[in-house]
Amino acid sequence: MAEPLIRIEGLEKVYHRAAIEIPVLQGLNLAIPEGEYVALMGPSGSGKTTLLNLIAGIDQPTRGRIFVGGRDISTMSQTELASWRSHTIGFIFQLYNLLPVLTAFENVELPLLLTRLKRAERRKHVETALTIVGLADRVDHYPRQLSGGQEQRVAIARAIVSDPTILVADEPTGDLDAKSGDEILELLRRLNEEFGKTIVMVTHDPKAAARAHRMVHLDKGVLHADEMTETGSLRTR
Amino acid sequence: MKYFSLIWKNVFRKKLRTTLTALSIILVLTLIVLLASLLQAMQADPSGGRGSNRLVVQHATGLGNFLQLSQRQRIEQVPGVVAISPETWFGGVYKDDKPENWIGQLTCDPDIYFDRIFDDAKIDPAVNAEWKATRNGFVAGETIAKKFGWRKGDRIILKGTYIPLNPELVYVGPYNAGDESNIFFHNEYLNQSNWFGANKYTGLYYLKVDTGENVPRVAAAIDKMFENSDTPTKTLTEKQFQLQFLEMMGNVKFLINGISLIVLFALTLIVANTIAMSARERVTEIAVMRTLGFGRGHILGFILSESVVMALLGGIVGVLIARFLFIPAVVAICNKTSLSVWMVNFRVSPETWILATVVSVGVGILAGVLPAVQSSRLNIVDGLRRVV
Repeated sequence: MAEPLIRIEGLEKVYHRAAIEIPVLQGLNLAIPEGEYVALMGPSGSGKTTLLNLIAGIDQPTRGRIFVGGRDISTMSQTELASWRSHTIGFIFQLYNLLPVLTAFENVELPLLLTRLKRAERRKHVETALTIVGLADRVDHYPRQLSGGQEQRVAIARAIVSDPTILVADEPTGDLDAKSGDEILELLRRLNEEFGKTIVMVTHDPKAAARAHRMVHLDKGVLHADEMTETGSLRTR
Repeated sequence: MKYFSLIWKNVFRKKLRTTLTALSIILVLTLIVLLASLLQAMQADPSGGRGSNRLVVQHATGLGNFLQLSQRQRIEQVPGVVAISPETWFGGVYKDDKPENWIGQLTCDPDIYFDRIFDDAKIDPAVNAEWKATRNGFVAGETIAKKFGWRKGDRIILKGTYIPLNPELVYVGPYNAGDESNIFFHNEYLNQSNWFGANKYTGLYYLKVDTGENVPRVAAAIDKMFENSDTPTKTLTEKQFQLQFLEMMGNVKFLINGISLIVLFALTLIVANTIAMSARERVTEIAVMRTLGFGRGHILGFILSESVVMALLGGIVGVLIARFLFIPAVVAICNKTSLSVWMVNFRVSPETWILATVVSVGVGILAGVLPAVQSSRLNIVDGLRRVV
């Protein structure tokens, strides 16, 4: 059996607030194969965003290990993690988090500034990413000149522009109306199916979760259920 | 360079705040450049280094006491001395006491003064010759001659103050030199009057030494010669002589430097506050950038660069304003007063440009370092949690 792209073993995360220890994740084990689309669900405080942050390498576990592509990211230094994130992870936020002083083009170009690509090559990559999300005609627009759905698509273009292996999305439709949310979910499906991106998405919305292949339910920091969705079942048939 | 656009856009993120901070930088740098240039002008050698082998011999206790004219012969005999002229500050009043009518009035030996001592000054040989031959003639720095509109043959009357004499002098012509705020007339004019120092005293001696290397030896020899006499001397280089006037005004340099440092400290706090506010507002953005893969060093560099760019921009504009607006205005105003002598070298020198640049960058670094370090240490999850 092939090694999963993401393998989590005995993961624990404890936050400290003054002298009080708050366990957020407790002894979690999880494996996500390459190309899978996973929805993390659970009530508020269940630890799903913490798990997402740990998978994305922006937080570090208290105990346990996280292997991504065979590398143990739980032992990496901050500098190593920053470099690793830049080419492995594409992060999509609930509130898009575009830089307001930059145009759509410049926002998407941002991760490429960390590469050795020349200006013309960067331009090409940015244009491709914006074309994929359907915003090739909005390159010079600032975030304030875009709708919420368009902003989120620019954020997705920023997440995919460096061609990362994994996309992590934290409630990507949480701040959008139904129509825009649907467009974003459709875009994520395309990125998974057409471009082979492994997606880990936190959501409260069962409809959004149903678009994934698999639903992982967390409750009080413990894996509560791990089930295939209808979409996932159809995929495996 | 690929990050410059990002840095630039962040500097102007809040235009009003940046403008107000930049204005405070501009104001302070204008002041610093003005003070630094003024200090430099006051300390500058009006001859531009050409007077390096000129010496001034004055009374050891200061300019308030006279030297004896009889000392001239003994000084002349010191090996290395090639020319000597007595010089007395007449200190009379021209027209009235108004500052704009102030003139430096000096007497000297015209046969020697421009020919052998101030040979770097420019004077028409015909004017020089006529001045030597005219007992009540005077020559004036071209600047001051133009200021008063003197033409050849014009007569002026000076009203003596500490010397009870009202000389009536005839304008012969101009001279050009670093300091053009003075007029010179014959020492003999004083000697033929009935003031108590006639044929007895002189304010000081100006002398020329054959080579620059001999200057310290000659100065020491002169002072040694008169050390136990009734009129001990203090021999100074021309530059030391100029600086002594600055010292008379108190420790101006200390005062100016002190004011500058305090103002710079206040400016650093203002810029630091602006940068800290800007960084605080961007906690989530900084966390997002860290998420995208930007390291702590990147964030540190961005915030520091923003601070330096802002300070440098303000600094450059400040220097330009000082150079093209304030200094010409101050010179124009001061040229009408007794301060005109200090205005000769009042300009923004290359050293002042460098100083302003270093100060701007220094303020930028000092102001930016704390917010930059704080931002770079930001925990990504905490930063994202502010909004997410």
